Amino acid sequence: METRTVIDAHNLSKVYNPDSIPVNAVNEVHLHLERGEFTSLVGPSGSGKTTLLNLIGGLDQPTTGKVLINGTDITAMAPNALIDFRLHNIGFVFQAFNLIPVLTASENIEFIMLLQKIPKAERTRRVRELLEAVGLPDKGDARPAQLSGGQQQRVAVARALASKPQFILADEPTANLDSHSAATLLDIMEKLNREEHMTFLFSTHDQRVIDRARRVITLVDGRISSDTAPAGLSHA
Amino acid sequence: MLFQIAWRNLWRNRLRSLLIASSVAVGMWAGAFIMAIYYGMGDGRLRIAIDHEVSHMQVHRPGFSDDQEARMNFDADRVEQALQNLPDVKAYALRSITGGMLATASGSQGVQINGIDPASEEATLGLNTFVREGEYLDTTMRNRILIGKRLAGKMKLEVGQKVVLTFLDTASNIISGAFRVCGLYTSYNAPLDERNVYVLKSNLDPLLGLHRQAHEAAVLLQHDESLDTDFAQLQHQLPGLKVEKWQDISPETSLVLSSLDTYSIIFTVIILIALAFGIINTMLMAVLERTREIGVLMAVGMNKWRVFGMIMFETVFLTFIGAPAGLLAAWACVLWLGHTGLDLSKVAGDVMQDFGYASVIYPVMPLNSVLETIWLIIFAALVSAIFPALKALKLKPVEAIRA
Repeated sequence: METRTVIDAHNLSKVYNPDSIPVNAVNEVHLHLERGEFTSLVGPSGSGKTTLLNLIGGLDQPTTGKVLINGTDITAMAPNALIDFRLHNIGFVFQAFNLIPVLTASENIEFIMLLQKIPKAERTRRVRELLEAVGLPDKGDARPAQLSGGQQQRVAVARALASKPQFILADEPTANLDSHSAATLLDIMEKLNREEHMTFLFSTHDQRVIDRARRVITLVDGRISSDTAPAGLSHA
Repeated sequence: MLFQIAWRNLWRNRLRSLLIASSVAVGMWAGAFIMAIYYGMGDGRLRIAIDHEVSHMQVHRPGFSDDQEARMNFDADRVEQALQNLPDVKAYALRSITGGMLATASGSQGVQINGIDPASEEATLGLNTFVREGEYLDTTMRNRILIGKRLAGKMKLEVGQKVVLTFLDTASNIISGAFRVCGLYTSYNAPLDERNVYVLKSNLDPLLGLHRQAHEAAVLLQHDESLDTDFAQLQHQLPGLKVEKWQDISPETSLVLSSLDTYSIIFTVIILIALAFGIINTMLMAVLERTREIGVLMAVGMNKWRVFGMIMFETVFLTFIGAPAGLLAAWACVLWLGHTGLDLSKVAGDVMQDFGYASVIYPVMPLNSVLETIWLIIFAALVSAIFPALKALKLKPVEAIRA
């Protein structure tokens, strides 16, 4: 597998309430992810998993340190440039699915490509491909409310993939799913990782996800306490 | 797809959207309809002023209007010839006018005595149509007088009774003449009815010492639009005489009409402000309810301008569902009442006439006022959208997603 640095976080810290009661949500984290990783970020509640994902995803600004995505420092970007960067480089999967309820499954997926100004024919083709990839070829016209939690999360994965991102950040993707739905979702993500070398970084409590990860990073009190990497992959 | 999302978002809370759209419709209907009544009143007042009071133009000797002295007369033949040369004249009337006292057994009252030719006044003022009791002036009957019904009530006069008119002639001699009441009239303007009495010009002129002279010529044109050209021509043909347009003769009517546009804008703006608050409230609720969703849209790459646009579209859609419905309803009401008229005499009695307005109002909806209203709606909708849209823009994705 070709290895190339996708995420490079240097000395990343996030302090909430710096002027009153400071809370170090993320504390001097160094993280290095390469293309094709399938990595879990684990740790107890309040350990800083979601904050770290938000910093890596450019949703939040670090107090100190920087995040390089494919060598681009996203912490130095202007807000609108950062939104545009996220659109083209980062896929998000949220714990609560967060699909747009007024759009169908197909439209939810297509919407991202529309923002990227991809031509209609290509959008239609890719929506079909992605729905098939997540095992929902016949659910394109269904609104989120007409889908089960597992199906909604699969559409969310398809939406995250629609922009052909560098990597996907998934915050507790299986937390709201039953065992069967979680297993199906993990199968799909594992397949995408294996066959298309899509990089995944999960934050999770779920042992089922941890068991499938090839690298597990444990956060405690905002610091990396352990990082078990599979052979052949290097990291900080 | 931004349109699509905005449109579908609108119907997520169907009841709320329908309620606010309905309130926009009712507001628009009320605003447009009341404006149509305003314009109808203005239009009615204009027609009364021109067709039944002052005509399009009047000719006097300079200074006559100040004191109404009998000696301030002009050559009637010369003026009549000039009037006959005007291209768009519908009718004209030559009048002898003097101020005087009307005396009865029960008292006296200052009046304006108008010496008229009945046929000319039929054509210019429609004076014959105002007669409520008795008869209109008849050229075959000597020394008859037509007085306002209000004045008659005040002086306890009835048809057939005698009155004495006292006035000054051209040589400033005090002249008195006895006249018998032939009829009582009620025009559209109650205050004028109390002041104006009409006698035959052929009876009044000898008493005043006039021969082929008059004090006033009233000119009614076929078309309002001809006023400026006919006015210029008449001025040119009658040097030394004062030619005035209706706007100068009845400045209060002119003022009312010129104020209508201002009233209409003020009234519409008040309604739109009320609507705007309703829209802002609804859209703010919509934004707050969808904080997480907007956060997700921003997280996945929807930039702030698109979020701003989405909220703007929603607000504009909301307004544009209700506003045309309201305007259509107003238009239907105006169409119906423009035909049947809105009779205010049943609720307001003669109050309208006291101010020179007709009791029956025919609402009108000029195209320019409709367009003006539409522009104001668009403006109000966009302004209403800005605050909720800015609220959405201030959301930070990371905080919004946690909401």
